[in-house]
Amino acid sequence: MSELLRAYLTVVVFLAAAGMLVGVSLGMGRLLRPKRPSAQKAMTYESGVDPVGSIFGQSQVRYYIFALLFVMFDVEAVFIFPWALGLEVYGVFGLVEMTIFIVILALGLLYAWRKGVLRWV
Amino acid sequence: MDVLSGPVAGVFRAPDVDYHAFAPELVLVAVLVAVLVVDLVLEGRGRRLVGGLAGIGLLAAMVPVLTLAVDGANRSMVGGAYVVDDFALVFKGLFLIAGYVTMLLSSDYLADDDYYEGEYYFLLLSSVLGMMVMASSRDLISIFVALELLSIPAYMLAGWRKRDLKGNEATLKYYLLGVFATGVMLYGMSLIFGITGETVLTEIGSKLQGPGASLPLVSLGIVFVIVGFAFKISAVPFHSWAPDTYEGAPTPITAFLSVASKAGGFVALMQLVFIGFLGRDDVWQPMFWVLAALTMTVGNLIALRQTNIVRMLAYSSVAQAGYMLLPFAVAGDLAKGPGAAMGPMTTYLLIYAAMNLGAFALVLAVARKTRSGEIASYGGLFEYAPGLTVLMSIFVFALAGIPPLGGWYGKLVVFKTLLDANTPWAIVLGVIAAVNSVIALYYYASVAREMWMRPVPDGDTTPVRVPAGLTAALSLCAVATVVIGVYPQVVARFGDLAVFSLLP
Amino acid sequence: MLLNQFLLLGAVLFCTGVYGVLARRNAVLVLMSIELILNAVNINLLAFGAMHGEAAAVASQVFALFVITVAAAEVGVGLAIVLLIYRNRTSVDLDQVDLMRG
Repeated sequence: MSELLRAYLTVVVFLAAAGMLVGVSLGMGRLLRPKRPSAQKAMTYESGVDPVGSIFGQSQVRYYIFALLFVMFDVEAVFIFPWALGLEVYGVFGLVEMTIFIVILALGLLYAWRKGVLRWV
Repeated sequence: MDVLSGPVAGVFRAPDVDYHAFAPELVLVAVLVAVLVVDLVLEGRGRRLVGGLAGIGLLAAMVPVLTLAVDGANRSMVGGAYVVDDFALVFKGLFLIAGYVTMLLSSDYLADDDYYEGEYYFLLLSSVLGMMVMASSRDLISIFVALELLSIPAYMLAGWRKRDLKGNEATLKYYLLGVFATGVMLYGMSLIFGITGETVLTEIGSKLQGPGASLPLVSLGIVFVIVGFAFKISAVPFHSWAPDTYEGAPTPITAFLSVASKAGGFVALMQLVFIGFLGRDDVWQPMFWVLAALTMTVGNLIALRQTNIVRMLAYSSVAQAGYMLLPFAVAGDLAKGPGAAMGPMTTYLLIYAAMNLGAFALVLAVARKTRSGEIASYGGLFEYAPGLTVLMSIFVFALAGIPPLGGWYGKLVVFKTLLDANTPWAIVLGVIAAVNSVIALYYYASVAREMWMRPVPDGDTTPVRVPAGLTAALSLCAVATVVIGVYPQVVARFGDLAVFSLLP
Repeated sequence: MLLNQFLLLGAVLFCTGVYGVLARRNAVLVLMSIELILNAVNINLLAFGAMHGEAAAVASQVFALFVITVAAAEVGVGLAIVLLIYRNRTSVDLDQVDLMRG
């Protein structure tokens, strides 16, 4: 058997094990649990909120601002990773540069906070 | 080497940072941060303070520009990607002054409006910072970052009047076309990078003169990059956003966009074309020929039938961009080398900045009383505001290129470049430009006729009150326009400086 | 050759994006088309970078990172503008945004 196929064999074993784990635990549950169905239980689970209205309903504009804040900080982190991996190599110079970068990023957060964006009304 | 796998231990050496060379940008960044923090702390109570701080910041950034100019040395940093030479300094000075004049125009305009926010100054300074960086960028990556740094705040400024539908439309059109143009430009940059494997312009320049430079892929890349910047300088057929954005945006921002943002685009084009693409004039020269001819003609013809002064000035600034493109179209045929085309362009840009900023400042001053942008509302301006009438006449006739006002010298040097090239194509272009100058004179003169000869439309002859900031901006532009016209050696000197320092 | 396939993918993405920008009338879809263009650029950059050796590979990756981060900022502003338009006119159809003509 070639090296490649052997590597895939591991994946197959993993898949089988994962399938078995799910099957066994769900099967055990089905055998052991009491059965008392109700309309409430059949409802779609939506983080504890009742699912009301169409699935294409509009979401709050506030989600947009939060999502945007998340995306901005998430993406800017891409500049921090290369520095973090070579922390000792870049030394004091890198530390100072990155501090300036992070302080300016933090100013953005400060701005969002002062403008009341972070408060969920 | 994979960036994320980390650098090889021990080989990293901190780059030598020349703080003097970076000083103008550093000052501007410090002021930018201060403006943001002060506005957040005072929560909009310190309007005058924030505005004053931003203005002082722009002037303070001028100081290191001057000391660098006195010092005179060419400073090249980050492997040639960031260069501070006379070319960069001339334009940094222009951007700072244009930014300051915009501040002067804005202060009372904002106070009258109920849209004041401290972010206005923050965004304006960010945009100026982007232009400053652009003037020194000699690398594809830094040109891209500078372009975005100057554009993104400008998108927001264009839509400053949030509840005004025209303002919304202005910003939407500007944004969509601007971002699309950036995408096209980036695609072109990726092709050029692909052929040369370099991002620094001087390296690209030397590779594009060697073998392999004649690949069609290179031509495609150059065309895409130039198209991207043609949007920025609103050259026809990529100008469609300009009149709508100029009309819908707040007038000070219109002045800023039509002068500083356009100059930013030209600076980038000059650096790309005269350093990076120098060896491929067979690609860019015909392209600029077509762009220049179309831009002048279409801009002037549509300007003829405008009834709104801001739209007329918008099309006029489109047409002016056409005159500025003329030297590009003949650069390859100049006896002194393509770089000789840069002097006339720089000269024209500097003169254009003074007269166009002045014209928009005057539109602002008159609109304070008439509350209208129609050219007809200028009727009989001489009866109640003789000072403004004289100033407006200076600006429009300067734009038309009548001696002894600034504009004529710009036109003279541009036409002289065409004659120096002395090819049939250059002569044809010269004829087109000359015809266009005559067409342009017609609509510029019609504004003057309205002011001097027509009666006041509504009979209201109460004088116009012009606030101090606006007066200062108007006088600055008027003095510059007249002085340049009478004593053109001033700007010619700047134009020459810009040429010789850039060429290798 | 492998490079050609990447470049072809880039070109297809770029053309799809340009088509989307020119033909789509929904502002959000236009924004998504612009993202396609930028991704085409990134694919091109990385493919070319890998071809030219180590120094160019690093340059191309840095370039691509800048494209990604700046695009995020750009789209943030773009979505804000679209929201603004939606608030004032309850539609994001670009054909309806035509107050100024000529």
